[in-house]
Order: sequence, then structure tokens, then C-alpha cells
Amino acid sequence: MILGYFGAGALLAGLVLGGFAALLSFWAGWRQAPLFIQVGRRAFYAATAMVLLAAVVLEAALVTHDFSLVYVAEHTDLSTPTALVVAGFYGGQEGSLLYWTLILGLLGSASLVASASLGGRVGAYAAGILAAILSFFLFVLAVVASPFELLAITPPDGLGLNPVLRDMGMLIHPPVVLAGFAAFAIPFSFACAALLAGRADAAWIRHTRRFALLAWGLQTTGLLLGMWWAYHVLGWGGYWGWDPVENVALMPWLATTAYLHSSQVQERRGRLRTWNLGLVILAFLLVVFGTFIVRSGVVPSVHTFAISAIGPWFLGFLGACLLFSVVLLALRSGNQGAVAERETPVVSREGAFVLQNLLLIGAVAVVFWGTVLPLVSGMFGGERVVGAPYYERAAGPLFAGLLALLAVGPLLPWRRLRRATYRALLWPAAGLALALVVLVVAGVRAVPALIVFPLAAGVAATVLAEFVRTAIRKPRAILRKRRHYGAYLAHLGLAVVVIGIAASHFGQQEKDVTLQPGQQATVAGYTLTYTGLQQRQLADHADFVAAMRFGDQTLEPSRATYAGLGGQALTHVAISTTPIADVYVVLADTGADGSATFRIFVNPLVVFIWAGGAAIVVGVVLGSVGEAGPATELARRRIPATLPA
Amino acid sequence: MLFLRWGLPGLVVAGCVGYLILSASGGSAEYYLTVSELRTHTHAGDVRVAGVVQNDVQKSDGGLHVTFTEKDGTASVPVDYSGPLPDIFKPGITVVVEGKLGGDGVFHARTLLAKCPSRFSTQPYTS
Repeated sequence: MILGYFGAGALLAGLVLGGFAALLSFWAGWRQAPLFIQVGRRAFYAATAMVLLAAVVLEAALVTHDFSLVYVAEHTDLSTPTALVVAGFYGGQEGSLLYWTLILGLLGSASLVASASLGGRVGAYAAGILAAILSFFLFVLAVVASPFELLAITPPDGLGLNPVLRDMGMLIHPPVVLAGFAAFAIPFSFACAALLAGRADAAWIRHTRRFALLAWGLQTTGLLLGMWWAYHVLGWGGYWGWDPVENVALMPWLATTAYLHSSQVQERRGRLRTWNLGLVILAFLLVVFGTFIVRSGVVPSVHTFAISAIGPWFLGFLGACLLFSVVLLALRSGNQGAVAERETPVVSREGAFVLQNLLLIGAVAVVFWGTVLPLVSGMFGGERVVGAPYYERAAGPLFAGLLALLAVGPLLPWRRLRRATYRALLWPAAGLALALVVLVVAGVRAVPALIVFPLAAGVAATVLAEFVRTAIRKPRAILRKRRHYGAYLAHLGLAVVVIGIAASHFGQQEKDVTLQPGQQATVAGYTLTYTGLQQRQLADHADFVAAMRFGDQTLEPSRATYAGLGGQALTHVAISTTPIADVYVVLADTGADGSATFRIFVNPLVVFIWAGGAAIVVGVVLGSVGEAGPATELARRRIPATLPA
Repeated sequence: MLFLRWGLPGLVVAGCVGYLILSASGGSAEYYLTVSELRTHTHAGDVRVAGVVQNDVQKSDGGLHVTFTEKDGTASVPVDYSGPLPDIFKPGITVVVEGKLGGDGVFHARTLLAKCPSRFSTQPYTS
């Protein structure tokens, strides 16, 4: 009870401090008053401290089973394992918003501390915008969806966490995704601040890029963990279903991927400034839009989140952000003088980045349209929905184009083609041709497979040739130019991910079988023997295990029944991973005579997705520690640092 | 000149994306209907229908084949589906079936998705 009052008080104090920080920072930035800029910034830190306090209070209420709080009672019970009680903090609507606000405050504070080189004005406006966003979240938390709401009568036990979420993946997937979402607010704030202050120089690019890379890295990890979780827990044999919840996490990722590449054109050549600002802003708007879509239930999704009153508030917030940034871009970006300076051939590194950006934004448009179609078509008569075939047909060619660029783009020089370029292009060409020949000889005739695999091989050849060349000539450069080689590693990882996705997509086989103990089933050359059914009683659930012998392993697909939750059932998939394929067994039903019905999938090369994903994340981490970007050319060429106001 | 070099490729890509979106959504968009709308719906092709599972679930074929009645307000339709059922499938929950209404008046579902009442919480307390 007392914890509830304490937490709600902390949220209110945070709201007041956040609002004060926003108003003061804008005013101080406008008046260029260093003292008040400092005060505004510290008010932001203080608001963050209040959010941290509220988070600690909520966590304390969860761990001590204080069921006087609605949130604690609805998301945990006495039988929930402690690790999951702790995870209950971000397992529900209100708590996840509080977690998001906390990450926003912490990363926002870090970005403000790191912004000293940007000049007082940009820092002040960024603090103001960050504080305004933080205040919006605190307002929603304090007024609309409070995690500290109290029950009139304290129940003896809670309702418990949904069994689907009682999984170790649940401990790491949501916090990473939510942290990624929160992180997109930082590049957005600094982009808008740069527009307001009329200043986007080399220091600004470095700062914004660093935090955009952080958001991108978190989002990449979050998407991969989500795929991993869906594959291992949901038991439908796949990892990506083009559900709105997945789409809204993918769109800001695509937009930020575009930014991370096009920002290099600005670093090197001082171009595409407005475009880059637009991309950073777009990524954040997509995050807010996604939050609105997912949490308001306006589009049909398998994942219906607890629908609550926050939907309209996020719609209003989206409208305000959209208006603010569009007006700002229209009024302040101006015409960039640098563009007309000298013509650049279309076939160049710059050209490759521009085309890559267009394709990525095209992919965002495809995903966006697929996500909002039910909403739009619902307004004009019959509500219509699209499924995976739409995304494959519409986004597939764009992704193939991106893959081709990934093979060729890194080899194109800045500005002008040289003869050496043609020689370098032999590597991806050789990789592509080799893969094509191998596939055709192996009897693959499906056109999409004959496009995707050779292109991915071309990408890998480009990266590997670069690594080998450097390792022979000047091996220490690999460690020195970490950002460059980190990016190459991420490219290689992406090629591996693409191979895994394509193989499991084109090559998946499935079979439904009902077996008596001792009987066998064979799928795609893998033979499994059903050995029998056992029942096990665990702390919070009972398990029906249908054991299968596979080689010298025993697979144990099972169905759990949670007595505490009205007998809700949960299927546990059994997966045997080999480098070639995953054997994925789902227990569909059990008969009274000891028979069991299985759906068995053979998913080729799924392990490539996780391995390639890990390589991408390692590449991002390597590329973001230590080395400053090549933001030197701007300074050398004396491109004016200020935007024309 | 600048337009020819950079604007034109931009327009070409935008045109391609527009074409891809239109052709793909035209070909594969499905109507999302209520059970009562299903009766009057004439458009050929698969549709998705949401409704509540009634208390007449019949399983056969080792639990991989199921028939039940789906109801929504006053209208109802018999559904026939083959495949593994979602964990939370039972009478009383809302499901979304994807498939076609056959000439026999039975909805032949290709996929069946359960709509979790809430993914996050179980059932809300009323305070």
C-alpha cells in the first residue's frame, strides 16, 4: 500500500521536473543563457532520478508480492519463479511504459552528458525536446496508465504471468526491444535541436550517429531475440509472421539502416543533410506510430496487447511530433548549398547509398501499407488484411535489390569510378557465379532461391575478399579501422542471416503423424521414433511429455497445463539443431491409448540466422567502440557548419 | 541536370515500389469479416472471419482435425479445420479463421489463429 503511494508520488515529481526542464531548456536555449541551460539539463537528470525511484519502488512491490497494487496482482502470483517476478516489471502494459521511460531518461541523460562539443544551443534544445518526450510518458504513467493503481481489497494471491511469457526468452527479449524503441528518441531530439538551432556540423553527425547506431544495435538484437523466442516458444515452426507487432519494430530499423549509410555521404561529402535529418525523424515517428498501433488495438493482430486508454494519447502525441518535425523540416532545413557544388556520377559510392536508401524507404512503405491496410480499407467499406504473400511479393524484389547493392556498393569508390573497381568487382561476381552453378547442379530450379542464394554469396565474397586483402597487406588495419571492419562484419552477418532465412523459407518440410509407442516417422530423411508418454509434475504446471528418439538424442516435446490459470495449456517444442537443419517437433495431441500426434518440421539452416545475427551485433559493438568516424573531410573542405536559416 | 541524375532514378524507384505494393496487395489482400457479413459476402477468394468458438468442438484424426461452430452476435457458421490447434483453443475464446465458405455451408479453414484475450495479463481484476 505504502509502496503504491510512494511510486505514484515519484512519478508526479518526475512529471513536474520534466515539464520544468522542457520549458526552461527551450527558453534558455533561445536566450542563450548558459546558467539556465545548465539548470534545465540538471532538471532532466533529476526527472530521470525520479523515474528510477519509481522503477525501484515497482520492482520492490513485485519482489515482496505486494498484491495491493493492481499491477502486481495481475501479473504475478506466489508460484511465479523469482526471475519472472522480476521480469514482471516490463511484462505488462503499465510496467513496460515505465521501463521505456526509464531507458529514455537514462540514455537521454547520457546523450546530454556527451553533447558538450555540440555547443550550448543544440544541447539546450535537445534537452528541451527530450524532457518534453519524457514528460509525455510520465503524464501517461501518472494519469492514464499508472502501474501504482491500488486495489480496494488486497487479494491473498495474484493472477500470475501468462504461461506463454514464462520463459527465459521473456527475460531478455522485451527489455531489449523496448530499450531500442526508447533509444530512437535521442537521434530525433538532436536532429530537431539541430534544425531549431540551425546547426548540423561534424560534431553533430558524430553524436547523432553514435546514438542512432546504439538504437539500431538494440533494435537488431531485439528483433533477433524476438524471432528466436517465437521460433522456440510459439511452436508454429517459423520465426516471423508479418504481424503488426513485428512490422512496427521492423520499420524504424529499416529507416535507421538507411540513415547509418546515408549519414556517411554527409560525413564525407557534406551532402544529403536534410534527407538525413528526415530519416532520423522518420524513425522516431515510426516508433510512436507503432506504439499507437500495437497498444490501441486499431488493427487486427494475433498479439492483442492489453488494450487500454493510452491509445488516443499516443495518437495525439504522434500528431504533435509529426506536426512539430514537419514544420521544422519545412522551415529550417532550407536548400542545401553543397549539393549543386559539383556533379557526382550516379555510379559511385554516393549513388549506391542513395539507391540503397530509396530501396529501404520503399521497403518501409511496403510494410507500412500492409500494416495500415485494415485501418484504411475499414474506413472505405470492407476491412481487408494482407498476409505473408503480400510482403514476400512486394518487399522481396526490394530486398533482392538491396542484397545486390550490398555485394557491389562497398567496392564502388567515392566520386568517380577507377579501373581498379572493375577488377574488385570480380570477387562478388565469382561468388555469385559459383553459388549459381552449385545450385543448378544440385537441382534447384525455384527462381527466388536462384536469385537470393547467389546474391548472398556475392555479398560474402565481397566482404571476405576485403578481409583477406587487408589481412595480407596490413593486418593491423583491421584493428585500427574498427568502424570500417565492424561494418563489414555486419554485412557478412547479414549475408549469413539471409542464407538462413532463404533456406528455411524455401526448404521447410512438414508432416503430421499420429504414432503408437515404438512407431517411426521419417521427414526429409530424418527418422524419429516415438518411445512413449510420461506425466511430470512441476512447481507451477503439469507436463505431458511425448519422448522421441532421434539418433542418440531424446527429444521431449510436451504439453504443459497450468492449474493456477484455469487449466491453460502451453506447448513446449522440442528442437534438435544440426548445422544442416533443425528437426522441430510439436506435440499436437495425445490419445488415451498412449498414442501421440505430432507435427514435425525440418527447417534447413535456421542456425545461420542466429549465428549471422550474432555476427551483426558483434560488428556493431566493434564498430562503435573507440574509433571516430571519418568526419574530417567536412572540416578540411570548410563546408559551412551552419544550415541556412 | 541535377534532376535527371538523382530525381529521375528516385522517381523510377518510387514507381516500382508503388507498382509492387499495388500488384501485391491487389492479389493477396483478404477481406476481414464478421460471421454475419460472411453470409452476404460474394467476393471470390479467401477471407478471414473472427468469432467465438461454441461448445460443440469435435476432434478427430488424433486431434489434428476439428469441427466447431463459430458465432458472432447472432450469426454462426460451422467451421472445419485440419492442423494443430493453438494452445488456448477451447470453447469461449475468439478465433480468426482463414479460408473459404464452401457450397455445403461449412467454412473450410486453412489457418486458425487464436486471439489471446490479452497477451500480457490473464484476466483483469476490477478494482
